[in-house]
Amino acid sequence: MNSTRQSLLSPKWGEALTGYLFILPTFIGFVLFILYPIVESIRISFMDYSILRGSEYIGLENYVEILSDRRIRTVYGNTVIFTLFAVFFNAAVGLLLAVALNRRMSTFIRNLYRSIFFFPLLVAHTYIAVIWRFLYQKDTGVINYYLGQIGIAPVPWLSQAGWSMAAIIILDVWKNTGFAMLVFLAGLQNIPAEFYESAQLDGANERQIFFRITLPLLSPTIFFILVIFMIGALQVFDTIMVLTEGGPGDSTRTVVMYIFEKAFQRFDMGYAAAISMTLFAIILVLTLIQFRISRRWVHYE
Amino acid sequence: MTTHSRGIAGFQTLTERRPPRRRVKTGDLVTLFMLTFAAILVLMPLLWMFSTSLRPTADSYKLPPAWLPTQFRVENYLKPFESSVPFIQLFVNSLRITLAVTLGQLVTCSLAGYAFARLRFPGNNTLFLILLASLMVPNQVTIIPIYLSMVSWGFMNNPLAIILPGIISAFGVFLMRQFFKTLPQELLDAARVDGAGQLRVFLQIAVPLSGASLATLAIITFNSVWNSYFLPLIFLKSWDNMTLPQGIALLTGYMGSGNPSVVMAAVTMAILPVLIVFIIAQRWIIEALTRTGIKG
Repeated sequence: MNSTRQSLLSPKWGEALTGYLFILPTFIGFVLFILYPIVESIRISFMDYSILRGSEYIGLENYVEILSDRRIRTVYGNTVIFTLFAVFFNAAVGLLLAVALNRRMSTFIRNLYRSIFFFPLLVAHTYIAVIWRFLYQKDTGVINYYLGQIGIAPVPWLSQAGWSMAAIIILDVWKNTGFAMLVFLAGLQNIPAEFYESAQLDGANERQIFFRITLPLLSPTIFFILVIFMIGALQVFDTIMVLTEGGPGDSTRTVVMYIFEKAFQRFDMGYAAAISMTLFAIILVLTLIQFRISRRWVHYE
Repeated sequence: MTTHSRGIAGFQTLTERRPPRRRVKTGDLVTLFMLTFAAILVLMPLLWMFSTSLRPTADSYKLPPAWLPTQFRVENYLKPFESSVPFIQLFVNSLRITLAVTLGQLVTCSLAGYAFARLRFPGNNTLFLILLASLMVPNQVTIIPIYLSMVSWGFMNNPLAIILPGIISAFGVFLMRQFFKTLPQELLDAARVDGAGQLRVFLQIAVPLSGASLATLAIITFNSVWNSYFLPLIFLKSWDNMTLPQGIALLTGYMGSGNPSVVMAAVTMAILPVLIVFIIAQRWIIEALTRTGIKG
């Protein structure tokens, strides 16, 4: 090897070159399927976009249309209601289960229950919705049968606005609360035992221990769960698509379902892109808040 | 319920007076009762699915519902295959897409993860942060341009429309990078001194040690692709390309609510692979999900 080749192929250059080659596949994908689409999405959101008859720039018209679109108000309203209730109940039930599982019990029982609560998380939203569609039937459904046993008249779960929203929230909590439980359980197990011991020595009762020690020390985890679930809930799609298809009327239609309808059923890509930008902005803000606050809380201990 | 709430306190109660010990037991019973009640609520829909799948159709609407199978009509499990929905084809389609995406991610993510963790090159940190930031971008923002790209590349109604965007993953790169950072530098240096090139060090030293992380990534990816509905719904339009979740959603529609037994047999079969993977790899899945905060 002569000296010039050696300097080009010196270990340092060789290492850098290998590095770039190793990340190349990921970055080709990143540019094609994330970076370019974001930029393009912003551009399309300023256009009256049509694959067939050509497109033209229309400035802010799509965004102005969002302001006057009554269905936008409905779907954002639905999404917010779904998000608030689903996030609250997922977190609350998950926390309750985690606290219960964190009590003194045999490892076998703890692992068994943890697995049971966790399993629905792995099953496709589609399949879960297919099963629950039968359970929710007004006259033949299992749920109404048991409600009837305790004297409640048949509930029109899937056929009446309001109830249909309750139906998808219940389903969502059934499916996802296991994730909150899992993360809370890990958080609880990270709380040093000394805290509990000294509280007991001071004569604190179980309720005091929960509110004065467990809850404050768990607050970073609680916050994390709230934001993660919020981001997820804002994008809900699969379950509702199968369970109610957004109905009755628009009563369970969410923002993402509306984007789907506008983009891929009406092919009004420009308007759909503008709506997706509004959702993007909301999720971005939530993520940044989460990032800021979790950074502040990481040094908590 | 006064004195305790954690394991160590339980040990103390053995030496204590009687009354607190009895109160301990009530607390534990209440907990156990609550957990059992919740577990029943979680299991009932799945149990209903399974027992309905084995019943004659006429029995599936009988109330009160029988929770255990009343009969064993195994032939219900053959009916999805005889229906107008090409069940086997859907299964194969799902499997093909899922395997392609999973294998693709294992390759791209371990390569990039290794580079970001162990190789020095200008821009290493910046590029990693840019990639990581893309985790903030929801699917719905990128889907319209991706759709238009697929149309212009002629990939509509083609599994490639789902496979290609799927084989990279910022999350996967992150996961693998975290693992490769834990490898001792001496190990890699020793191999370098022996004259092995970077690629050989990666393939013969780093990859064989990363089995658990690769398995974690594979399981998470497999499950999320196997279950995905949004993308197939947009891109796959004909029976010979559709995936299982699409097919089962349509099966419900096709047969209306007319035949729960057959639909539930189909759903049971579709859930089976997930259940098997769960039983085998539970520990890894739970650990990975807890550590990384990625929701199914």
